[in-house]
Amino acid sequence: MLAMIKRNLLLYFRDHSGVFFSLLGALISFILYLVFLKKNMLSSLRQMPDAKILLDTWLIGGTLAITSITTTLSSLALMVTDKEKHIAADLELTDAGPLRLFTSYLISAAVIGALTQLAMFIIMWGGFYLTDGLTLSVTAVLNVLGLMVTSSLLAVVVNAAIVQGVHTVDNLGKLGTIVGTAAGFLVGTYIPIGALPGFAQGMVNFIPGSYVAALYRQFLMDDKLKTAFSGNVTAENAFDRLMGVRLNWSTLLTQQETYLIMGLIFSGAAGLVFGMKWLRIQRRHRFTRER
Amino acid sequence: MLLEAQHLTKTFGEHVAVNAVDLQIEKGSFTALLGPNGAGKSTTMNMLIGLLQPTAGQVTYDHAPKLGVVFQGSVLDDILTVQENLQVRAGQYRHVPADRVTVLSQQLGLTTFMSQRYGTLSGGQRRRVDIARALINEPDILFLDEPTTGLDIQTRLAIWSLVQRLQREKKLTVILTTHYLDEADSADNVVVIDHGRVLARGTAAEIKNRYATDQLTLTSPDVAQLSAQVAQKPTRLTANQIVFSLPTMQTALDILTANRSLISNFEFRPGTMDDAFLALTGKEMR
Repeated sequence: MLAMIKRNLLLYFRDHSGVFFSLLGALISFILYLVFLKKNMLSSLRQMPDAKILLDTWLIGGTLAITSITTTLSSLALMVTDKEKHIAADLELTDAGPLRLFTSYLISAAVIGALTQLAMFIIMWGGFYLTDGLTLSVTAVLNVLGLMVTSSLLAVVVNAAIVQGVHTVDNLGKLGTIVGTAAGFLVGTYIPIGALPGFAQGMVNFIPGSYVAALYRQFLMDDKLKTAFSGNVTAENAFDRLMGVRLNWSTLLTQQETYLIMGLIFSGAAGLVFGMKWLRIQRRHRFTRER
Repeated sequence: MLLEAQHLTKTFGEHVAVNAVDLQIEKGSFTALLGPNGAGKSTTMNMLIGLLQPTAGQVTYDHAPKLGVVFQGSVLDDILTVQENLQVRAGQYRHVPADRVTVLSQQLGLTTFMSQRYGTLSGGQRRRVDIARALINEPDILFLDEPTTGLDIQTRLAIWSLVQRLQREKKLTVILTTHYLDEADSADNVVVIDHGRVLARGTAAEIKNRYATDQLTLTSPDVAQLSAQVAQKPTRLTANQIVFSLPTMQTALDILTANRSLISNFEFRPGTMDDAFLALTGKEMR
């Protein structure tokens, strides 16, 4: 399985233009935001102290969540390419077995997702440090690093469930475009969740990436929010709800609840993809027997 | 019997790709599945390998043999080097010695381009790497799906002698599909397939004897008279030449001796695999 993961990573990172465009794809929402939306958002938050810094960290959180979704999806394209080019047939002849091969695609996609998020984080933080003097605490950075791994794993299994139904690279590309476009809105990166219509807000709660975005925002913004609101819980809760720092079910979710929900989504999606894979393998095995 | 297929059938919707094919493969044998494009060769092979589920019928191996497969298309990664490609595949198997890739690269003459990217290799070099990949797990059976299609004659011969050498030296069981008839010539066992059915089987010599006719071309100053003298119907007649398809060499000799005075020149060509193949599968293109 290690050999296979190494192969997948080699294939990804040796294709330099592929890596470049994948990063650019993640960066583009960030750049577009800076160019088109930031000023508008800033003016609506004018009465807040440190509005700039808050908005910067808010954007980093949302962009990282989008990155986790889009890069893992495009990394899973390898699985479809291999199937389409009959490489999968060759791989399945080895002792590795289909289930381990499948897992190795997921792991390498998760590694790519985490590394791309790391690169994005460095780029964005660097940019905001230079323009707005953004600093982050060690705890915040460690939490963010941990979440990069968690979010990649979550995004991989959710995407893998979707990719199961896609059989050509061409179609996966189209799916990637759809997901890439929708993700920014669905995890509330372009427009704050609280500013969305009620139906859209409900939809956001169904997107696993929203919980990732919320956790990122909590890690990045929490101490800044505490100073900004200096103990005014009602105002802080209103802000959390508006900006999607905490998602709203019947009440605002705590960090533990958010983690729990992510865990449940992860288990559900993982159960689904591995279950489906297992069933397919069983079906095939019935046909070749040994005497 | 190492491998046995019984009534192997595969349908894709209405289309019957493989129709009740029976195969027996003995250990150490060399079997060629011969057939034109779309005859059902690859489908049959994929069912033998276990990559495709038969619609009906069964494939039985006498124990769990190690399989090596050279696929029709490339299954290695263009942007990885030969070394990386083979090493990755070696890592996928249990019990492959650490020096296996090195040993194979020497055996198959890959050493000069081991660090070159697979995508930059020539067709013949790629094929050799493909074969090396198939041999990584020291297989008992080597399947080759049209291994020499699209290669020049020198490379075809080289690949061909390589496969034969492997069969001899490693006691490999080889099963290959081809539509090059000369390649089937040296197989122990030729199975001619068309439209998913087995049309003939046996050694190349047996098949040629049974299905290929010998061709006798006579040049004569008086074609009309010569034609009248011979009982057999000519297959072709020109101003000064006459062509017969004959079942045996003896018949040809008889015609030649009886009509000596009328013949200014002659050419005798024994039946080839081409003739047998065309006789079996017809001249239609697909």
